[in-house]
Amino acid sequence: MFLKFSLHSMFYGAGGGNDIQWCFSQVKGAVDDDVAEADIISTVEFNHSGELLATGDKGGRVVIFQQEQENKIQSHSRGEYNVYSTFQSHEPEFDYLKSLEIEEKINKIRWLPQKNAAQFLLSTNDKTIKLWKISERDKRPEGYNLKEEDGRYRDPTTVTTLRVPVFRPMDLMVEASPRRIFANAHTYHINSISINSDYETYLSADDLRINLWHLEITDRSFNIVDIKPANMEELTEVITAAEFHPNSCNTFVYSSSKGTIRLCDMRASALCDRHSKLFEEPEDPSNRSFFSEIISSISDVKFSHSGRYMMTRDYLSVKIWDLNMENRPVETYQVHEYLRSKLCSLYENDCIFDKFECCWNGSDSVVMTGSYNNFFRMFDRNTKRDITLEASRENNKPRTVLKPRKVCASGKRKKDEISVDSLDFNKKILHTAWHPKENIIAVATTNNLYIFQDKVN
Amino acid sequence: MEVQKEAQRIMTLSVWKMYHSRMQRGGLRLHRSLQLSLVMRSARELYLSAKVEAHEPEVPLPPVRSPDPRLHQSREAEAVAEAAPPDGEQPSPEPMDTREAPPAEETPARCAPRPAKVSRKRRNSSLSDGGDVGLVPSKKARLEEEGEGASAEVPDRLQPPPAQAEGAFPNLARVLQRRFSGLLNCSPPAP
Repeated sequence: MFLKFSLHSMFYGAGGGNDIQWCFSQVKGAVDDDVAEADIISTVEFNHSGELLATGDKGGRVVIFQQEQENKIQSHSRGEYNVYSTFQSHEPEFDYLKSLEIEEKINKIRWLPQKNAAQFLLSTNDKTIKLWKISERDKRPEGYNLKEEDGRYRDPTTVTTLRVPVFRPMDLMVEASPRRIFANAHTYHINSISINSDYETYLSADDLRINLWHLEITDRSFNIVDIKPANMEELTEVITAAEFHPNSCNTFVYSSSKGTIRLCDMRASALCDRHSKLFEEPEDPSNRSFFSEIISSISDVKFSHSGRYMMTRDYLSVKIWDLNMENRPVETYQVHEYLRSKLCSLYENDCIFDKFECCWNGSDSVVMTGSYNNFFRMFDRNTKRDITLEASRENNKPRTVLKPRKVCASGKRKKDEISVDSLDFNKKILHTAWHPKENIIAVATTNNLYIFQDKVN
Repeated sequence: MEVQKEAQRIMTLSVWKMYHSRMQRGGLRLHRSLQLSLVMRSARELYLSAKVEAHEPEVPLPPVRSPDPRLHQSREAEAVAEAAPPDGEQPSPEPMDTREAPPAEETPARCAPRPAKVSRKRRNSSLSDGGDVGLVPSKKARLEEEGEGASAEVPDRLQPPPAQAEGAFPNLARVLQRRFSGLLNCSPPAP
């Protein structure tokens, strides 16, 4: 019995490094093949406890799912996520001076840590950031004797008794209200927002500038990075992502279209144009090609939960950097190297411009990112094993274990392998999120959200 | 030759993409424009080096610059591809004289060198051909007009650049103009 238990824990024990079997849990969204543009998911984010999962879409809507609280000891699977709140965060706007439409697409959502009964999140489109308060109402006062049934006030002279209203339970109502609107601070398109570990400030980054805001103050922000050249014709790189360090409230990083990451310390100066550290890997000359420059552009940067590492995603790979080593990443994982020879076609169909995101698991032992054909990839940093899985409605029986997928780069295609030419480049997974504490992942295809869990015996 | 054709194709495609990126909702995206201009520059360099290797007498340069002022009439001065003729800017040396344009001097944001000044250089170097010296000042004047016209005239932006097609670089210029005009009337390429 003891031996069996220890063998069991060896294979299925907790912690990173052991092979997890991923199972389908849920899928949210329309079943139609005909995708409405407004329903295209543009961002996915778990909150700090993992109980809430928010998605933003191209139509400016935010949908929040809440995990059912189950009896953890008895349950064989973790709680399901059901719709908790839906609200229209941003509307399309028109900039009259520039004659440009401002898209309502939600670029990023970031949750604030919970301080009281209400939940707060920041959502942003290209130009405006909003702080939303999501609160529950499950009681209402009843028993007023000042009004008639239809709501009209009674004649005061007819009121002869004093009656104190009482709170009575009602159906749960979740209300979202915009508490702050941070507008007019960005000339270019906002690509990132990141909340500081002080929980008082946050940054927003566009192509050329990064601004620091206080959550309470909407009419001004500090510009902390400005890479706009005096002569725009000399522009060679733009900011592609930015994030605050999870523990040091003075430190943040931003990535560029040239494949570099700069770490800045806000204590050094008010304007952090001079980086404290510059992370850059020299280019491999054997990989140099016509499109080298654009595929080296970093589409996402994420600190590990520990704060010791950061991960970057460029078009073909995921790189893990140790903050103490600037000259090269400590780990590099190829996401879909078989696409390197197809870059010209990917340029033609615009896929080469796709911005993939990446994420860490709660213990920083596994990283995940998306690919094409609704495939997504996970890389275990300890075992150095990787896996490719598919988000598809074909595997939609709950607790069905996902079968690993394989792409055949060239030559003979084995059974169950997919050749590169059969990949559907319209089916891309750009946004993924990992529950902060458990092995639950949210994977967004074009207009559907898939939730997978590890197999719980 | 294949390399040349491919480079030309990519240049044309990039110009087309840049044009159409203006039409999308949300307006011109700086990062996308930068990436497109980088590809255009690489294609141009590839084309030029292939051309030089083929030892052709004329070194055609893609007059990408000329469509730009017409394409990118956006008031948003930050558009990377907008290449309004700046005063006092140094002309980048052309592969006619040097094998490769030195990347250090050439800013990636500029898709093409200043044809006016460069053409004058080239004309001077081939004056022994009995070339029309008289064309040089008039070409410069025409460019300046275009430059001013470019910043003022919004409706003209859809017109292909006929004036630029004449002059020192008829071959590629005409090819691009033909292709570009054709593309403007075509539906977008399938994604």
